[in-house]
Amino acid sequence: MKLASFRKKSPWILHYNAGGCNGCDIEILACLAPKYDIERFGMINTGNPKQSDILLVTGPVTKRSRERLVEIYDQMPEPKVVISCGACASTGGVFRGMYNCEGGIDQFIPVDVYVCGCGTRPEQIIDGVVQALGILEKKTKELEESVRLSKKPVQEGRQLNRRNIADEIKPLVS
Amino acid sequence: MYSFIAGIFILPVIVSGLLLFLPSKAAKILVIFSAVVLSAISVYLFIQVDQPFYFSVPHYINEIVAGADILLLLYFGFVAIRKKSLLVGVMTVLQLGGLLYLLKILPPAESMQFMVDKLSAAMFMLINIISGIIAIYSLRYIEEEDCSSFRKKYFMSIMFWFIAVMNMIVSSDNLEYFFLFFELTTLASFLFIGFRKDQESVGNAITALWMNQIGGLAILVAIFFIHYNGYGEATFSNLLTHGSATGILLPLAFMSIAALIKGAQMPFSKWLLGAMVAPTPVSALLHSSTMVKIAPFIILRLSPVIKDTPVATVIIALTGFVFVAAAVVSLSQDNLKRILAHSTIGLLALMIMMAAIATPVTIIASLVLILFHGISKCMLFLNAGVLERVFHLKQTSDMDKLGEVGPYTSLAVTIGFMSLLLPPFGAFVGKWLSYLTLGAFLQEQRVFGALVIVFVAIGGAVFSLLYFKVMGTLISRTGNNDHIEFEHTGKIYKTIINLLMVMIVLCMVGLPYLLTHLFSPVAADLVGSHIPIVTEGWNYYIGAMKLPMVPLLVAFFLLPVTIVAAMFVQFKKVDRAKEYMCGEKINYSFSSFYFTTDKAAPYFSTVGILFFIALIAVALI
Amino acid sequence: MNNLLIPVLLIILAPFIGGLVYGFERIVKARMQRRIGPPLLQPFYDFLKLADKRRMIVHSAHAFFGIMHFVSLWFAVGVLLMGGDLILVVFLHLLSSSLMILAGYSTRSIFSHLGANRTAMTLLAYEPVLILIAVSIYLVTGSFDVSSVYKMDQPLLYKLPLAFIALLLILPIKMKKSPFDVAEAHQEVVGGVELEFSGIFFEAVYTAKWLDYVFCYTLVYMFAGSNVLLGIGLMVFTFLYLNALDNSSARVNYRQMLRFSLGVACSLAFINLLIHSIF
Repeated sequence: MKLASFRKKSPWILHYNAGGCNGCDIEILACLAPKYDIERFGMINTGNPKQSDILLVTGPVTKRSRERLVEIYDQMPEPKVVISCGACASTGGVFRGMYNCEGGIDQFIPVDVYVCGCGTRPEQIIDGVVQALGILEKKTKELEESVRLSKKPVQEGRQLNRRNIADEIKPLVS
Repeated sequence: MYSFIAGIFILPVIVSGLLLFLPSKAAKILVIFSAVVLSAISVYLFIQVDQPFYFSVPHYINEIVAGADILLLLYFGFVAIRKKSLLVGVMTVLQLGGLLYLLKILPPAESMQFMVDKLSAAMFMLINIISGIIAIYSLRYIEEEDCSSFRKKYFMSIMFWFIAVMNMIVSSDNLEYFFLFFELTTLASFLFIGFRKDQESVGNAITALWMNQIGGLAILVAIFFIHYNGYGEATFSNLLTHGSATGILLPLAFMSIAALIKGAQMPFSKWLLGAMVAPTPVSALLHSSTMVKIAPFIILRLSPVIKDTPVATVIIALTGFVFVAAAVVSLSQDNLKRILAHSTIGLLALMIMMAAIATPVTIIASLVLILFHGISKCMLFLNAGVLERVFHLKQTSDMDKLGEVGPYTSLAVTIGFMSLLLPPFGAFVGKWLSYLTLGAFLQEQRVFGALVIVFVAIGGAVFSLLYFKVMGTLISRTGNNDHIEFEHTGKIYKTIINLLMVMIVLCMVGLPYLLTHLFSPVAADLVGSHIPIVTEGWNYYIGAMKLPMVPLLVAFFLLPVTIVAAMFVQFKKVDRAKEYMCGEKINYSFSSFYFTTDKAAPYFSTVGILFFIALIAVALI
Repeated sequence: MNNLLIPVLLIILAPFIGGLVYGFERIVKARMQRRIGPPLLQPFYDFLKLADKRRMIVHSAHAFFGIMHFVSLWFAVGVLLMGGDLILVVFLHLLSSSLMILAGYSTRSIFSHLGANRTAMTLLAYEPVLILIAVSIYLVTGSFDVSSVYKMDQPLLYKLPLAFIALLLILPIKMKKSPFDVAEAHQEVVGGVELEFSGIFFEAVYTAKWLDYVFCYTLVYMFAGSNVLLGIGLMVFTFLYLNALDNSSARVNYRQMLRFSLGVACSLAFINLLIHSIF
């Protein structure tokens, strides 16, 4: 039995709101509550990128949250998958084209699963996560670079320094 | 043997005199040479002394001692007038009056004035080895002091003077001699504390002077009562033979008061805290090997008679209280030296308590604490000196970058604190023995024992919180540079700190050996009966107490090795990630909890005073 | 030989047993909230998954402290199960916690520092009570050894009921359960000291938590002495009590925790000690 098969048995989730209206966030919390109870699949909402496998992002990326998003993404150890949760996270949604929003997280980090809806329904989120688990099992431990990086991780001896990857991500909207 | 004892008395005096005149190069060689010789003599003496070894000095020395006493008191009177200190003046007048009265009524000393037994020899080792190390260290430290070159020589000179006086005090049997040496240590500490000559130093030196003079006065009163009760001559050995005589409690109570004042117990803790203004080697000297160690020494000496008396009860209650109070007050301190000073007061309380309970095992516990506390505190204070001189740091809250700029010093301080707290270090074994024996004490002294245990348990926990607080600020560093390079603090500094660390480790590994060959004979000598230390498989039995050695040995690999290894260990093929700060990139400043427990200090002092009154009251009743 | 076999087996299997208890606890907790909850072996799935993650640390010393925390805790559990000296066990446990606190302090991470500060506070809260319990046990059995408890004809519980209650009161602090979970507080300080560990290095901290279960339940079992049935009963009761408390209470801050533990739990243990020593 390979270790990789256990990935889908204990996916730990990190939830990040990149500037949305909190609609999707409430639906995510509903997943944890007794009615949907995603803990029965072994999922935990950790709140800590260093111990998470799935990054669940909601909301369009505002200028302020841009660097934080990439920083958090880089602090997650591979293999990891990103789920863009809701219309805003996927495309920018109703905020698309606004002066303070970048619109869509896939312009900064690679997204594996897009979940539609404004706000997403818990069933949809669970569906998306289940789909993500299939992807997670196939992924490797190789470093995935986030899109539009200004810095690369630095190889120092046999250690890879990924401390300063997210420095100065260039904005899309000027 | 006589010549060796004479050597250990006289050599430091000669060195002290020579240091005033010699040029610095020669002084350096002399200090190192004499430190080594003194240590060697003390070890030799410890091996040689089996029976208590009495010897007397020629008769004219008696007159010299009396004359020196009076001269010393006149000097104190001179200080009182020059510094316009009423308290010192009053104490001096009282002491002078008492001394002259005693000289008039006491018959001339007939018996032996000096006695060297196992306890004295053990104290010789502590005093000479640790003080020797401190003396070598201060060669470097005092070079950077901002004062004239004569005062630098003068500093080294008092240091050896102090060693000489300490050697004499632990071997004097006659209480008149004891009084002189007691006052001489007071004088040495007065000169040391006032060394920097600024207003704060002088003020604190005066405080130390009058507080310790109370101790001297208490000794005079004790001598008076010994004479008044008709016990014969005022000597320790004579006092020990009058264990059940009527009125024995009064001299005991006053001797204990002298001890408790030297040991800076609660209302009199101010002088030790004030001693922080002196150059750091002085603090190291006062806290580890000399001065305060007189306190447990006196109680240990008197332990056979003091045992199970009301005086012992009050001492145990007082020290139990001081243990907690010192811990609680120390939480609010930020200055590293003050934190160390409070922990000294607390641990001294524990030592005195163990000595006052005076069962064979508690005496061993007390001795273990005295020795290991000496080494650990010496290292911590010398590190505080390095921090001051090399890194210009005094407050612990400023030390948060030390893990990066001075990893070696931060490691040394961490090990020092660990050695006061956790298994398998010696100071821990002392504490552990204390808990074990307090259990036995509880079976004899029901309610009282329970109270003492609560105090010790809570005090111990508060101290551990304090140490973690300090260690926490010392060891933090970023992950930017994972490869640690030890800093260069200076040749002497580094050699000394290394030596002390090796000593801590050796004492830890050699604990079974030390128990059977050092602590047990000394305790047996004090208790008067042999204390069986039996090895049964991997367990040591001290009396009825079981010490399992396997856990301690494993703990040795767990803790000290871990802390050192953590500095060197390098995980390969591992990514270095940034600390999680919610994705933010702001530089935060870190600090641990702040406490405002120092507000309680005045109340603690008041309670301490009540205990002292109680001490005299139980003796009078 | 035979009476050595069971403790040795227990020690070797301690992480496994702790993991099972933890898995079962997650189910019970979920059922109390009317959820289904994860499978019983969920902790082990987590364990195997974490082993497969890309390795990532803040710096080596931090990761090393985490691993040594696990090792030293296992050792403390070992000494406890072998029936060693209780005071020594308490101090060895303190040692293992101290390594975790040092790990927390060793990084420049704000949540780690907060967690380490709070963990040090919890030490202050429960250590005196444990020592008092150890001394009470000494009074009853005449020895600090845990093994002496099992040789008594009467369970310890009958002689030290208040000490047992004190133990029950500090167990939530020790196991970081609500209302005394300030040290870990997932919503507040994101797990505190364990925050910066990831992947295989987090595994050490994660399994150390399982060992803590074994440690705590052994302490509870100790109060039953040689009575196995009573011991199991006590453990089940404690298990249900802890989970019910965890589910039904809100977090208190560390001052309240300290006041409660030193005020109530410590005095309970003290009163028991006093009563026992007088009569």
